[in-house]
Amino acid sequence: MNVPPVGATTSRPSRPRRGLRLWAVAGALTAYTLFAGRKVGFDVSSFWSVWSNPLWGKFWPIPWDWVLDRHNVLDPLVETLQIAVISTLIGCTLALPLAFAMSPLTSPNRVTLVVSRSVMNVVRAVPDLFWAKLLVTAVGVGAFAGSWALSVFSLGVMVKLFSETIDGADPRPLEAARAAGGRHAPVVRTGVLPTVLPEYVAYGLYVFELNIRASVVLGLVGAGGIGRVVESQRQYFRFDRVLGVLVLVFVVVFVIEQVSVAIRRRLV
Amino acid sequence: MSSERQLKPSGSPSLSADRGTEADDHDTTDARAVIRFDDVSVTYRGGVQALRNVDLRVDDGEFVVVVGLSGAGKSTLLRALNGLVPATSGSITIDGTEVVGAGAAELRVIRSQIGMIFQTFNLVHRTSVLNNVLMGRLSAVPAWRSTLGLWPSAEREAALQALERVGIVEKAYVRASNLSGGQQQRVGIARALAQEPAVMLADEPVAALDPVTSRQVMGDLLRINREMGITTLVNLHFLDLAREFGRRLVGLRDGEVVFDGDISDVTDDTFQEIYGRAITDDDLLTVDAEPAG
Amino acid sequence: MSADPTIASPDRPVAPIRSGRRAVAATILVVVVGWSISGLGVSLDRLLGAPGDAWDIFRRMVPPAFAEAAERGVVGKVLESVHIAWIGTLIGATLSLPLAFLAAENVAPAAVRIPIRQLFNVIRAVPELILAVILIPITGLGPWAGALAIGIHSVGTLGKWATETIEGVDTGPLEAVAATGGRWVSGMRWGVVPQILPVVTSQWLFRFEINVRASAVLGMIGAGGVGSELVSQLVFRNFPAVGAVLLMTIAVVLSIDTVSAAVRRRIIRGAATSSGVDSDEDRNAAVLADLTGLGH
Repeated sequence: MNVPPVGATTSRPSRPRRGLRLWAVAGALTAYTLFAGRKVGFDVSSFWSVWSNPLWGKFWPIPWDWVLDRHNVLDPLVETLQIAVISTLIGCTLALPLAFAMSPLTSPNRVTLVVSRSVMNVVRAVPDLFWAKLLVTAVGVGAFAGSWALSVFSLGVMVKLFSETIDGADPRPLEAARAAGGRHAPVVRTGVLPTVLPEYVAYGLYVFELNIRASVVLGLVGAGGIGRVVESQRQYFRFDRVLGVLVLVFVVVFVIEQVSVAIRRRLV
Repeated sequence: MSSERQLKPSGSPSLSADRGTEADDHDTTDARAVIRFDDVSVTYRGGVQALRNVDLRVDDGEFVVVVGLSGAGKSTLLRALNGLVPATSGSITIDGTEVVGAGAAELRVIRSQIGMIFQTFNLVHRTSVLNNVLMGRLSAVPAWRSTLGLWPSAEREAALQALERVGIVEKAYVRASNLSGGQQQRVGIARALAQEPAVMLADEPVAALDPVTSRQVMGDLLRINREMGITTLVNLHFLDLAREFGRRLVGLRDGEVVFDGDISDVTDDTFQEIYGRAITDDDLLTVDAEPAG
Repeated sequence: MSADPTIASPDRPVAPIRSGRRAVAATILVVVVGWSISGLGVSLDRLLGAPGDAWDIFRRMVPPAFAEAAERGVVGKVLESVHIAWIGTLIGATLSLPLAFLAAENVAPAAVRIPIRQLFNVIRAVPELILAVILIPITGLGPWAGALAIGIHSVGTLGKWATETIEGVDTGPLEAVAATGGRWVSGMRWGVVPQILPVVTSQWLFRFEINVRASAVLGMIGAGGVGSELVSQLVFRNFPAVGAVLLMTIAVVLSIDTVSAAVRRRIIRGAATSSGVDSDEDRNAAVLADLTGLGH
């Protein structure tokens, strides 16, 4: 047997010192945190004053008769849903070819790969609401601008999620399709698309959920939907109505989310 | 090696590891039964009955090999012993202390006396070998110390000694994931040894290892049993290994004990009876090995 | 022998009727989309004209007025957005991790778990902007409102991600701790934390990347950062200045993204090699490199 008996003379190793680099990084991060905290006006005591501020009283009670009125809230909410549907559709449709172009696995050539990646990086580096504000300025206030803004947003999210899926897809069917002598698009269509399609649809549903939430805030910059209502009520300091609207929106989002999760679970 | 332990909560007799250093073959007239299964049944949620009316007595210092098909109940048998799987009925006692129905605190004390080795080693990959072995000392130090990693030097010493006993102390500060399978299992054994246990349980300890390493690990377990007198139960999948290293064999089929006796009484027919089917090459570690006479 | 695949012949199995469900789904989709389009009252020429209008604006942003922007301290504002995002992410991370343990299926009992998971859902459902809208009347305008809004919202997302990570751990080391007689805390410390640390840290960094964008946006309603600059310049239709603000924001966001992505990759890779197994990912990556000739 190769096992040394008890009391063998293999000497004990010496205890290594902790990584110095780790301490340096931790120190730098802590220093930055303190600096940023001061700049931001981090104030632990304000946690308490936030809690006990009398202004909270203005949020209650919720005027349900106003909130559930068709014109005030329900119509804009419907508009929000419609914006979400269209934006998801446009964004995700454009995202499909773009995501394929962005992945080394499925990109037709190097130039396409690099160009599409750079463009997407820049697009995603712009915060979504900046897009919304720009588009509002360009095409005017309203649901139209909102749809376009959210389309760009959907495109960004979808491309990011979906290209990661493509990157992680099993390359072997693709290899087989190439070996059978296919041209690029059919190769991708048969070699990769079936594998990633369920995830694509799942992500599409997810993006739809995101869009509903996002369109709420879009209204804050004038791009239509329920956010318009929130913003106008906020300006009138009618926080109770604001809260009512938000509660309603939350309920709607919750319901849609449950349905979406159920569908997604049956897909993947 | 220290021996006396008090089981705190109840007034039950202490789990004393009164071991002779001589590796005497069962002088069964004097030896106490350390482990007792009395009519133990285990049914999992979902209705699967893993153990049926199991009676078993293991004496102090014995080396028992348990064989059986997958699903026969080998794993359940071991895990019922340290309470990782609760028994549905019956009584399991270790040195008189009842395991079935024991409270959480009691179970922790019982488990600290039982060292367990796993098929998948169950090491913490991202930390050093020494830290892994120190986990065997968890019940000996207060929780805050072990959580912050502030182990007293006595515990470090115990861990290093355990590593020396299995012969890989030079790897003490190596990241656990950088070791080979056989080495990782030895770390697992060291972790169990660090508990200074009265009982050692090994659940298919060599199933993930190659034949040479498997023999080494089994040899380690047998040596530890002989030198330190720790009662050992080993689940094995490979029948030739069972015959080579076992002293006493227990065969399980469909949750029942169908064989319990000395290894010298075991023939190929015995195995076939335990398995309920003919023996295939998959049941042997090395196919070209001559079966022991 | 029948050529109809829905009729079984002795050696052929019956083709499953799957197309029915797909047709239903497709119909629903078409109906919903049609309803949406009609609801928004979008006419074709307006639809086609939009990209042109947008393009017009972008043209007017060139050349971007960098000098003017620098004078007005736009750079400082962009950095302020970063600070806000950092503090917000830290707040979110600190609060979310302990909560995530309490929300994990394999760790916490149902009575504790379910309310906390719902809490995460509720928080996630409220966008940072709305949170800021609610907080501003109370904390006043400025970066602290932004940091708080981001922090609170991040608790929801980070909590959910962390919970999923915790639920996905290999239970082996946990079992080993239990088998030695260790307590629940030790199980967490040795069985769970080492496994989740790389992934969770990478989640925090990813959230930080997102939060930088969020804090820029929050500026638009006065919660500190560069958003206010964008809004004011747009109002004056000072497009070159808008261009400058945009480009600076993009530059900062991209740099942070790049650094953060590199750090995240490093963390995950360190964790993968330490699991001691040749992961599927590594193998796929190797095949990929061969296949495309685009080896890293």
